[in-house]
Amino acid sequence: MIEPLIKIAILIGGLMTGAAYFVLLERRMAAWVQDRVGPNRVGFPLSQFVSGLKDLRLFGLGQPAADGVKFILKEEYTPAHVDKRLFVLAPISILVAALVTFAVIPFGDVLPGGVFGDEPIEMVVSPGAGVGMLVVFALSSIAVYGVILGGWASNNKYSFLGGLRSSAQLIAYELPLGLGILGVILATGSLDIGEIIGEQARTGWWFALTQPLGFFVFCVASFAEAARLPFDLPECEQELIGGYHTEYSGIKLLLFLVAEFLHMIAASFLIVMLFLGGWHFWFLTGSGSEATWFQAIMRLVVLNAKIFLVILFFMLVRWSWPRFRFDQLMAFAWKVMMPLGLINFVVVAILDQLKIVSGNDSSGMNLVCALAAWGICIGAWVAISIAGPLVADNRPRRELNSFEIDSQM
Amino acid sequence: MDSLLVPILLFVACATVLAAGLLTVGSLLGPKKTGRVKEMPYESGMDPIHDARRRFDVRFHLVAIAFLVFDVELLFLYPWAVANKNAAGLKSLTNMGVSQLMIFCEVMVFIALLTAGFVYAWRKGVFQWR
Repeated sequence: MIEPLIKIAILIGGLMTGAAYFVLLERRMAAWVQDRVGPNRVGFPLSQFVSGLKDLRLFGLGQPAADGVKFILKEEYTPAHVDKRLFVLAPISILVAALVTFAVIPFGDVLPGGVFGDEPIEMVVSPGAGVGMLVVFALSSIAVYGVILGGWASNNKYSFLGGLRSSAQLIAYELPLGLGILGVILATGSLDIGEIIGEQARTGWWFALTQPLGFFVFCVASFAEAARLPFDLPECEQELIGGYHTEYSGIKLLLFLVAEFLHMIAASFLIVMLFLGGWHFWFLTGSGSEATWFQAIMRLVVLNAKIFLVILFFMLVRWSWPRFRFDQLMAFAWKVMMPLGLINFVVVAILDQLKIVSGNDSSGMNLVCALAAWGICIGAWVAISIAGPLVADNRPRRELNSFEIDSQM
Repeated sequence: MDSLLVPILLFVACATVLAAGLLTVGSLLGPKKTGRVKEMPYESGMDPIHDARRRFDVRFHLVAIAFLVFDVELLFLYPWAVANKNAAGLKSLTNMGVSQLMIFCEVMVFIALLTAGFVYAWRKGVFQWR
């Protein structure tokens, strides 16, 4: 009872602080991309409390704390025209779903016994839950409820449209997400995230290397599920003000924004664990289930470094690509991601079957399979970039006549 | 109760307490003012014409139905993906006279059917946002 509570406290504390500082990092990153300075002033105003002390500036590191205090001191307002119960329930449910996802996601590997008791400590809140991926999947679907409830309860046309768009987007991209995961599960034969990482460490082949197409599909789908640019249509400011949280303010808005960042962090955790080898790095972390202290610490460092890099990638993408139009978004989900996901799954299944039938699991066989997968990935990419412009009509709807609208496939 | 479930339930409880606690602190510390204009829905300064919850575009419904169909079909693949290399599961199957290769072929047929349905829906314009 005590051990899970300690882990939960560490996780929630780390995630909330992490989310706050990632906001600062993202703003600094935006400033860097756009050739500005960014928030670099807020420090700790010590002279306000003790006269004679100098204010600390600390490169703007006080910004998240100041933002938090400001959110708490804002009015906790519920407008009269909303459905009061659902209006309060929406931010709570979305935050809880976003946080609980981390119950089955390991944030490190096993710590060897010795210091904290004799038993080795698994760094996951719920160790041995063999259906980890299913839990993650289920909870990420619950997040849709928070968005829809928020949009519906607000009784505001912007919120309503934002909620509808968001639900359509989230469910459309859940299929490619599932297809991407399916390839990994097939190659591992387990839904347990720890075992998925263990398999990659054992063979030394990260699934990003053996299933490049699946990696691509999963990455794009998880960008869409986290509603990050270029997929942030649920709350595109220029069209829908704030999307589903237009009517929200104060702490409720804070809960929505934190949940959004948690989705992004969870997505980068999953990308790292399913496709980028989790805590594994060649020659550095060892690959067995038993680890020395050095290896255990290296595993922690490697895992968090990878997650940090993926989050940086998320932020770079945000400031690099423009947003999709809604019809392009849906077309991309159904007409590009779904076929690519199916191709990936069939290729993985066939290569896997080849290994089983030939009874050959040597490194040469693995190399051949990986090369074949890369060939098909590049082939599919080339085919789509040639076929796409020929088939797709990318003009906005207002420029089509009615015949063209009907004949578009 | 399954002891594996307890930590997850604990986590749910902690997260709920955190969210509810933050909301309570916010409502205690913040100012409280209201007014006729403040009660109105925010619609960029225009007076709202009617309730926002009205009939909406059927396209969203079509997306939901297409999602349901394909999601359920994908769910069938999960048990196979887990069991494909599972020695115990395979042994009980081979005892029944079904080989692993045969199951693989059946799954491929299943995916072919799924793809056929996908192509049909595409030709019918289900995925066209119009």
